[in-house]
Amino acid sequence: MSLGVLLAVLIVIAGLCGLVLWALLKPESAGKPKAKKTLEDYSEKAKSDVEHIFNDEFREELRNRGRLHFEKIISENAMFLQQDLRLTTSQLNEFMKNEISSVLKDEFSKYEESINDAKQLAIDSIQKTQDTIEQQRELLTQQLNEQLATEKSRSLSRFETHMADIVNHYVLEAVGEQIDLSEQLEFILSQMERNKEAIIKDIRDGA
Amino acid sequence: MELNNHDITLPIGIVSPTDIARLSREIEGIDNFFRDQKIRVGGETNSMPRLSKLMDQLATENKINLLVENDRSKVLTILEQLHKSAPILHISFSVDPPGAYVQKVVAWLRRNVHQYALVTVGLQPNIGAGCVVRTTNKMFDFSLREFFAEKRDFFVEKLHVAITDPTFTANSAPQDNPVSVEQPNAIPTPITVVSTPDAEASS
Repeated sequence: MSLGVLLAVLIVIAGLCGLVLWALLKPESAGKPKAKKTLEDYSEKAKSDVEHIFNDEFREELRNRGRLHFEKIISENAMFLQQDLRLTTSQLNEFMKNEISSVLKDEFSKYEESINDAKQLAIDSIQKTQDTIEQQRELLTQQLNEQLATEKSRSLSRFETHMADIVNHYVLEAVGEQIDLSEQLEFILSQMERNKEAIIKDIRDGA
Repeated sequence: MELNNHDITLPIGIVSPTDIARLSREIEGIDNFFRDQKIRVGGETNSMPRLSKLMDQLATENKINLLVENDRSKVLTILEQLHKSAPILHISFSVDPPGAYVQKVVAWLRRNVHQYALVTVGLQPNIGAGCVVRTTNKMFDFSLREFFAEKRDFFVEKLHVAITDPTFTANSAPQDNPVSVEQPNAIPTPITVVSTPDAEASS
């Protein structure tokens, strides 16, 4: 039982006692002073009446009524309190729901914003990486093309040189033994004739 | 003693310094024979050394009487002088040439280059055809190998055309009336390579 309910019960009891006392003492206060003795008598009477009126049964009756009234009040207050509690609970639920929703909404919005930022950062990073990779690829492609061209030129040069050597060797092997020496004599003598002066000069000037 | 052009006539059979040395030894053998004859004791046999064909030719063409000591001495001196100072040309062929072939070359050399020119013959199978003449300081490559080397640019040019021109095969196919195309000279231009004889050996 709460403190408020106890206070209400005490106030009700005190009020009832006051009303009873006021009803008993009001006619004597309006009389003449000469009647002090009477008043005292009345006081004595009142005391005895009070004892008489407020006997154990009446007191028990009053206690029962007070108990019933108290129970009624308590029931009503409990009902009100329950209603208030339900209302408060529902409001609190609603409030909590709204607050939580609001907070969650804010948090989700922040979370979404963070995710969007992270996503944007990731996209930027990926874009930069792609740009770098593209640059590297272009550079590598360029270098590869240059090396390819160089290697191609070198291989072609080697191929030409070696091909010429191979063909020369092949022709010399294939044709060389087929040419009769006697058929070469005229050619050899003509070549010597062409270089006769050089040969003579070398023989004359040679050591 | 310097050789004069009219001291002796070398037969074309005498080709190389080896022949000169052989003739010199032959003359010395004859001299020895006659010295033996002078100191010979009666009853001992002493036969005249047989003269070679080259010695016969030499004596015949120069009208030398080998029985006369002065003639022998003169010939021996000339041969020794030839061995020392006669110009020697080294000629390499792709195959070993017969003696008569070499004698034709020697005859031309003695007619056109030097009266006492001597030739040593070498063998270089990789030259294909022609010859390589090496004098004291120079080498003259008259070989087919050198001819091909000289025409390498022409070959590479044709190779380029063959690789880059897709119609080359069709155009180069045999035709009924072939169009004359530019061809290298039938006779290769001799190349004078100024180098020492050692270069040939190293190559």
